[in-house]
Amino acid sequence: MQESSRAELAVPAVEGERSERVAQAAQRPVARPRDAQAARSRLYFAGILSVAAGLLLWEVISRFLVTNALFLAAPSQIFAAIVALAKTGELWRHLSISAIEFALGYLIASILGVIIGFAMAESAMMKRMLQPWISGLYATPTIALAPLFILWLGIGIWSKVLVVVFLVLFPVTINTEAGLRTTSERLIEMLRSFGATPRQIFFKVSLPSAVPFILAGLKLGIGRGLIGVVVAELFGARAGLGQLISQSADSFNMPNLFAGVVVLAAAGIILTAGFGWLEGRLVPWTKD
Amino acid sequence: MISKLEISGLSKVFGDLQALQAIELSVARGEFISVVGPSGCGKTTFLRIVAGLEPASAGEVVLDGRAVRGPGGDRGFVFQTDNLLPWRTVFANAIIGREIAGRVGPAERQRTLELLKLVGLEGFENYHPRQLSGGMRQRVNLARALAIDPEILLMDEPFSSLDAQTREIMQTELMRIWEEGRKTVLFVTHQIDEAVFLSDRVLVFARRPGRLLESVAIALPRPRALAIKRTAEFVRYVDHIWRLIEDDVRLSVIEEKL
Repeated sequence: MQESSRAELAVPAVEGERSERVAQAAQRPVARPRDAQAARSRLYFAGILSVAAGLLLWEVISRFLVTNALFLAAPSQIFAAIVALAKTGELWRHLSISAIEFALGYLIASILGVIIGFAMAESAMMKRMLQPWISGLYATPTIALAPLFILWLGIGIWSKVLVVVFLVLFPVTINTEAGLRTTSERLIEMLRSFGATPRQIFFKVSLPSAVPFILAGLKLGIGRGLIGVVVAELFGARAGLGQLISQSADSFNMPNLFAGVVVLAAAGIILTAGFGWLEGRLVPWTKD
Repeated sequence: MISKLEISGLSKVFGDLQALQAIELSVARGEFISVVGPSGCGKTTFLRIVAGLEPASAGEVVLDGRAVRGPGGDRGFVFQTDNLLPWRTVFANAIIGREIAGRVGPAERQRTLELLKLVGLEGFENYHPRQLSGGMRQRVNLARALAIDPEILLMDEPFSSLDAQTREIMQTELMRIWEEGRKTVLFVTHQIDEAVFLSDRVLVFARRPGRLLESVAIALPRPRALAIKRTAEFVRYVDHIWRLIEDDVRLSVIEEKL
C-alpha cells in the first residue's frame, strides 16, 4: 500500500507532456483527497515504525549491553510485570487511588480556575489583586511544597489532591482570563450595532470565543496534574502509581518501576487524546 | 416630501483632526445613496455616526423624526468584514439581531429563512461560516442586517474584500434584493462605478476636512443590468465623480506612501 501511494505521488514530477499535464490538472480535484489520505496513512505508519524500532533497540540494549537488571528492564520484562501486577489486583489498587486523586484535584482546579479567570476578566480590581499571586505561584515549582501538604493533610489522598489543584489551577485561570480578554473587537461591535447589552455581548460573543482557550488551559492541566499526583505520592503515600514506583525503586525492582511509569505514560496519552477528540466536538471552528 | 433621514450640521473631531465638517443631508424613503471619496475623507466615520457606533462632536442625525443617540434595531449595519460568529450556523448568525431584540418566534424564523433564500443561501442554513466562500459570507452579513427589518440599511464597503468578478455579481444581487423591498440605503464605497451602478444619488466627499463636496443625482433607468456600465451615460457619471476627487485621491496616495 505504501509503495503504490508513493508511485502515485511521483507522477506529476515525472510527466512533462503538455497534454498530460492538462489531463492531470483536470483530474486533480478527484486525486487530491486520495493523495492526502495516502500521505496521512504514511505519516501514521512512520509513528508506529518509530515506536517499534525504539522498543526493539531498548530490548536489544537491555539484553546484550546493560545486562544488569538493577539498571534497566527490557520492554518484554516490563510487559510481563504489568500483566503480573494486573493479575494480583495490585495495579488496580494503585491506579484507582491515583485516578481518584487526579480526578478530584483536576475537577476542583478546573471549576475554581474558570471562576477566578472570569472574575479577573470582568473586574479590573480583581485582576490587580490576583495577578501577582497567579504570576508568582505559576512560576513557583509548587510541587516542592508537597512534603508540607503531607504534613498538613496527612499521607492520605487529600495532600495529593491539593498538589494537583495547585498545578492545574493556574494554566486554567490564565487561559480563561486571556480567552475572555481577547474577544474580537469586530464581533463585539457587530453585536453592539444591533443594540446588544453588555450581558448579551458576554454570553453571545465573549464566552463562546473563550471556550477554545479554556479547553487549551484544561489540556495543559492534564500533564501537570498527572505529574503532580505521582510526585506527591513519591513523598509519601499508602498507595498510588507514585508509591508503586518509589517502593519498586527502594527494592530495586526495575520491571515494576518501569511498569508504573508505562501505565502513567499510557494514562497521559489516553487522557490527552480523549481531550483532543472532545475539542474537535466542542469547538470545531478552531480546527481546519 | 417627508424625509426618512435628516442630518444637520454633523461634525466629528478626533483630537486636532477635523474628520467631518458640517454635513447636511436629507434622504427620502426608499432612496439608495452611496458615499464615495478618497481614504481619510471620513465616509466610514459618517456611516458609523449614523449607526450610533460613534458619537458626533456636533450636529444631529434624525431618523423617522427621532434623534439617533446610540445603536438600535431600526438600523441594519452591513460590515466590511463579515463578522460572522464562527460557532453559529448560517441561520443562527442571520437571526442574531432578532435574538438581541428578544423576539425569536416562528414568524421571525420564517422571515429569516425567507431572507436567506432571497440572498441565495437556500440549503446552506445549517452550514458554518468556515464552510462558505467570501461572497457567501457577505450574503449572510446582508441577510443578518435585513433580518431585523430595519428602517435603513447602512453598508460599509461590504464588497471590498471580494474579488472583482464576485463583486460585480454581488452588486447585481444587491440590486435584485433592493428592488424587492426598496429599503432606504446608505452605501459607503471607494469604487466609483459601484456607487453609480447602485445609487439614486452619489455623495462625493472631500478630505481635510472631511466634507460633502457634491451630491450627484444618477438618472439611469431601473432596474439596471451590468451592461449599463458600458453605456456612455454611465461612463460620463463615473468621469465626473472621478474628476471631483482625483486631486484629493492623488494627495492621499502620496501621504500614505510617506
